[in-house]
Amino acid sequence: MIPFDFEYYKPKTIQESVDLFQTLTEEGKHPVFFSGGTEIITLGRINHLYTEAVIDIRDIPACKVMEFDEHYLYLGAGRSLTEIEDANYFPLLTATSKEIADHTARNKITLGGNICANIFYREAVLPLLISDSQVFIGGPEGIKAEPIMRIFDKKLQLKEGEFLIQICTERKYLGVPYVTVKKRKQGDTGYPLITVAVLKIDENINVAISGLCPFPFRSEQMETYLNNSNYSIKERIDLAVKHIPDPILSDTEGSSEYRLFVLKNTLLDCLTELERGNM
Amino acid sequence: MKTIGKSVIRKEAEDKVTGKAKYTDDKYAGDLKVLHGRLLTSPYAHARIKSVNTEEAWKVRGVRAIITGEGLPLTGEEIRDRPPIAVDKVRYHGEVVALVVADDPVIAKRAVSYINVEYDLLPVVNSPTEAVQEGAPLVHENVEEYDRDEDIHPIPRSNISNQMKIRKGNMEQGWSLSEVTIESNFSFSPSDHTAMETRCAVCEIKADGYVHIETSSQAPFMVKKLISAYFDIEVGKIVVDTPLVGGGYGGKASVFQEILAYIASKAVGGRAVKVLHSREEDMITTPCHVGLDAQIKLGATRNGKLKAARIQYLFDGGAYSDKAVHLSRAGGVDCTGPYEIEHIWCDSYAVYTNHPFASPYRGFSHSEVLFAFERAMDILAQELNMDPLHLRRINAIGPGDLTPTQVRLNRSNVGNVVECIDRVKELSKWDEGKIEEINERIIRVKGAACLWKNSTIPPDSVSGAILTFNEDGSINLISGVVEIGTGTKTVLAQMLAERLKMDIDQIHVRMKVDTQTTPEHWKTVASRGTFMAGRALLEAANDVICQLKEITATVLRSRVDDLDIGDQRVFLKEDPSIGLHFKEIAHGYTYPNGNSIGGQIIGRGNYILQRMTYLDQETGRGNPGPEWSVGAQVVEVEFDRRDYTYRVVKLYTVLDVGKVLNFMAARGQVTGAASMGLAFASRETFLFDDLGRVLNPQLRTYRPIHYKEHPEYIVEFVETPHIDAPFGARGVGEQGLLGIPAALGNGLSTAANVSLNQLPLIPELIWRTKEGK
Repeated sequence: MIPFDFEYYKPKTIQESVDLFQTLTEEGKHPVFFSGGTEIITLGRINHLYTEAVIDIRDIPACKVMEFDEHYLYLGAGRSLTEIEDANYFPLLTATSKEIADHTARNKITLGGNICANIFYREAVLPLLISDSQVFIGGPEGIKAEPIMRIFDKKLQLKEGEFLIQICTERKYLGVPYVTVKKRKQGDTGYPLITVAVLKIDENINVAISGLCPFPFRSEQMETYLNNSNYSIKERIDLAVKHIPDPILSDTEGSSEYRLFVLKNTLLDCLTELERGNM
Repeated sequence: MKTIGKSVIRKEAEDKVTGKAKYTDDKYAGDLKVLHGRLLTSPYAHARIKSVNTEEAWKVRGVRAIITGEGLPLTGEEIRDRPPIAVDKVRYHGEVVALVVADDPVIAKRAVSYINVEYDLLPVVNSPTEAVQEGAPLVHENVEEYDRDEDIHPIPRSNISNQMKIRKGNMEQGWSLSEVTIESNFSFSPSDHTAMETRCAVCEIKADGYVHIETSSQAPFMVKKLISAYFDIEVGKIVVDTPLVGGGYGGKASVFQEILAYIASKAVGGRAVKVLHSREEDMITTPCHVGLDAQIKLGATRNGKLKAARIQYLFDGGAYSDKAVHLSRAGGVDCTGPYEIEHIWCDSYAVYTNHPFASPYRGFSHSEVLFAFERAMDILAQELNMDPLHLRRINAIGPGDLTPTQVRLNRSNVGNVVECIDRVKELSKWDEGKIEEINERIIRVKGAACLWKNSTIPPDSVSGAILTFNEDGSINLISGVVEIGTGTKTVLAQMLAERLKMDIDQIHVRMKVDTQTTPEHWKTVASRGTFMAGRALLEAANDVICQLKEITATVLRSRVDDLDIGDQRVFLKEDPSIGLHFKEIAHGYTYPNGNSIGGQIIGRGNYILQRMTYLDQETGRGNPGPEWSVGAQVVEVEFDRRDYTYRVVKLYTVLDVGKVLNFMAARGQVTGAASMGLAFASRETFLFDDLGRVLNPQLRTYRPIHYKEHPEYIVEFVETPHIDAPFGARGVGEQGLLGIPAALGNGLSTAANVSLNQLPLIPELIWRTKEGK
C-alpha cells in the first residue's frame, strides 16, 4: 500500500517524456521515470521514496528494442530482465541477471530500472561495464551516446530530466569467455554479499563487482594487477584487493572482513576458470 | 482400519488450491462500512516518550480517531505488564505508539506519517545475559507489582519475570559419579514465525453491547476471555469468529491485534474497524520467536552413562512477558534431551530485554532447549570419543525412568527413543561414517539429534465436539480446533468415519470457529488438536451411536446390544439387511401412521486433560502433560572446507507418532516442521544494532527458505501407542522441527572441526569461529 497519490503518464516518444518531466517538475510534482515499478512499490510503501508523478517509458519504441545491427546489440531500457534472459543475446548478461531477485520480480524489473535503481546492487550493470558498452540517454538536450565507463560512477550519472533509453554492446563481447558468480550470506536467493562478473577479451580480463561496496564498480586499477602475469593468481588478487574503492560494506549481509574473504575466493575461482580456458 | 492411516485429502484443499479460501482480511475486502486502523510504531528499542503531537495527522481528511496509550488497561496473558499502546516509554523497536482509525487504509497510513513523537533514548538491554547482570537497566521497574497468574515467580527489582527450578537427585553425588564433564554456552537471538498470512482482526461493537471480533488466531476462545477480562465486558457478550488461518506456528496463539481492533472500534462508537498488520509489523510489532542464552554442564562415566546435568536457560522474552513465562516453564520441564539422568539441576528464566516480545513458536521452547542440550551431547560424545548416536542410545529414557519433573514413565506416556535412533541410523547409513570426502574441498557430513516433547498446557484445558445430522443422513462435525493449515479437522473427520464405519465424504466439517456456537477447544496449539479434540469427538461419536441404536432398537423391537452400525445404517448384527438408514432416524422416526419418536440427534463430547498437576515451586516436581512424543533426526550436509559454505542435502526424521492417522498429512507436518527447523537453524534471525533496533524487519533482508532451496526429506514413523489418545496417536505438528537445529549444528561442528554454538549457522559464523575472528 503506497500512502501517497501520484499521477501516471505513459508517453510515446522521447521528446514527450522529456517535456513531461519538465512540466511536472515545474508543477512541483517531483516526477520520476518509471519502467518496472518494483521500487516505486517497495520503497514507496515504507516512505523511502516519494513522488507525485511517474513517467512510464516502456511505450517509447527506442526503449523496447532488442536487436542487432552489423556491429552492435541494442537492448532497450524498458525490457524486462526475463525478456532479456529468454532472448539470451548476451549470455553473460543473462547469467548475471538470472541471480537478481526472483523470476516473478524479474518479469517486472527492467534493464534500465535495475541499472538506475535506488537499491545499490544494480547487478545488471556489471556485464555492461566489462563489455565497454555504450548507453543512449534522452534528456532536455536531445539524445546522447556515451561509453558506460565514462558515465557510470557508482551509478549512472544522469542529469535532471535525463533517462536511460538503451544500451548497445559490441558483438565481439557477446561470445567471449566469462564467469559470473553471486555469493550470498546463505541460500540461493536474496541480495549478494558479492557479485562478480568477469570476461576475458584479447588475453585481458575485465572485472566488475557489486555488493562489496555500496555501489557496483569496475576498477581499472584492480584490473591492472589482476592482469599482471608476472605474479601468480593468488598474488595478483592480494595486490588487487588493496585497491578496492572505499568503503567496503559491513551490514546485515556480512561484515567487511568476511566480504573480503569471500571476494578473494571468488576471484580466485573466476580467474582460475578463465585461465583454464573454460567457460 | 478403513479410514485411519489413509492419506485423505484435506476437506478445505480445493478452496485453498484454487485461491478461493477466505481468510480474515479477505472476508472484509472492499467492505466500505469497515474503517481501518493503522499503527505508528517506535523506531527505538528503549526510550522515554517526551511528546506525541497528532495535530497535523488530524488534518488528514477521513481520519476518525487517533488513539494514544493513556487510560488503557495493562494486558498480558500471564503477567499484565503490557500497555496495548505505549505509555510514557517504549520498550522495543516496533512497539505501538499510536493507532489511527480512518475511512480507508491509505488515509490511515498517511495520517500516521504526520504524527510527531519526541523520544529521549534510554540505555538498552540487548540480550538476556546482559539483562541479568548486576546493575543492568530495568525494562520494567517493578515487575513484582503487576497482576499475574498464580505459579509465576518474578524476582523483584530485576529483569526476571519468572524463575522455574528443576531439582532432581543430588548434584554432589552426580558430579562425584562423573568421570568426564563438559561445559558449554549456546545462544541465539529472537526471530520470526513468518506465517504467510499477516495477523488481522476486525472488531465491531454492536448497539446492544455485543462485541464481534473476527480474527486470524489460534486461540479464539482465549481472545474472548482476555478481552472480557481486560475491558470488563461480560464474557458472553463477546463473540469471536475465526475462519481459515494462513499459518500460525504459535505466533497467532498470542492475543494482540484483537486488542487493538477493540480499542479502535470503541474509539469510533463501535463501528467495525479492521487492523491488518503489514509484514514489517507482523515481524517485530507483534510477538515473535523467543531467543535463548544457555549454559550446560554434563557429567558422565567413562563408558558414557550420563550422571549429572546442570543447566541454565535465559529465555529472551523481550519487552513484555506474554508467553515467555510459560516458555521458560516448558523449557524447564523438558530441560534435557530424552535421556535418563539421575541428577539434574536446572534454572530456567524468562528474562525481559528491549527486544520484540515472544509468543509460542512451533515446539514451544523445545527446539530451542534441544539445540543447546543436543549440541552439548555431541560435545560430550567427542570428549568420550564415542559415537554420538550410541551415546544417546545408551542413555535413552524409557518406561520405568523418571523425567526431570519426576514423572515415572510407562509404555504409554513415552515413545520409543531407541527404536527411533536405530531406524534413523539405518535410514541415514550412519554407520558408513559421519564424514565422507567428495573432493579436496567438499566433504559430506552427518549430524544427529534426538528430540522429545510433552505439551505443558494448563491442567484444566478442554476441548468439545458437536455432531449434527442432515436430512440425507450425513453428519456435520463441529469442533473448536482452528484450521491453521495442519489438516486437523480432516483428521477428525477420519476418526469419525472410522468410528461410525462410514464414508468420509458424508461428513461435513465446519471450518470456521465461532465462540458462540462452537464448543471450546482451549487453543489450537501444542500438537494437541488430534488428542484433545479427537477424544471429545470420539465421545460425541459414541453419544451418537447410542442415540441411533436406541431409536433403532425401538423401531426394530430389538435389543440395543444386538445392533451394529455401518455405512450410515443401524442394523441387526444377525441380519444386516434389517436396519434403518441414518436419514430415517436422525431427525426422528415416523411410523406409517404418522406417529413420530426420537427427534433430532445431536452428539456431544468433551475432554479435559487428566491427572495433570501444577509443578512444585522448589523442585519442579509434578505431571506437566499427557505424553512425551520422541524422535531422532539426522542432517546430511555437503560442506566446503575452503569457503565454509554448505548445502543441506538430506533431512532424515524418525518420529514415534503412536499411530499414523493420515500418512501424507503426517508426513506434510513433519517435512514442514523440518524445513522450518532448517530455516531457524541456518538463516532466520533478527539482527540487532547496539540500540536494540531490528536491522532486518523485512523479507528483503530476513529471508526464509525459498521454494527451490529445500533438501530431500526422508520421514519414517514408529508406532508406540499412547493409550489415552484416539487410536493411540501422539502429537505430530511440531516434533519434526525440534532436533533439526542441533543436528545441523552437530554436523557442521564435525565438518568444520570447531564447536558451533550459535544460531543461525551462516557461513560467516563458521568462518568467524574457525578463524578466531
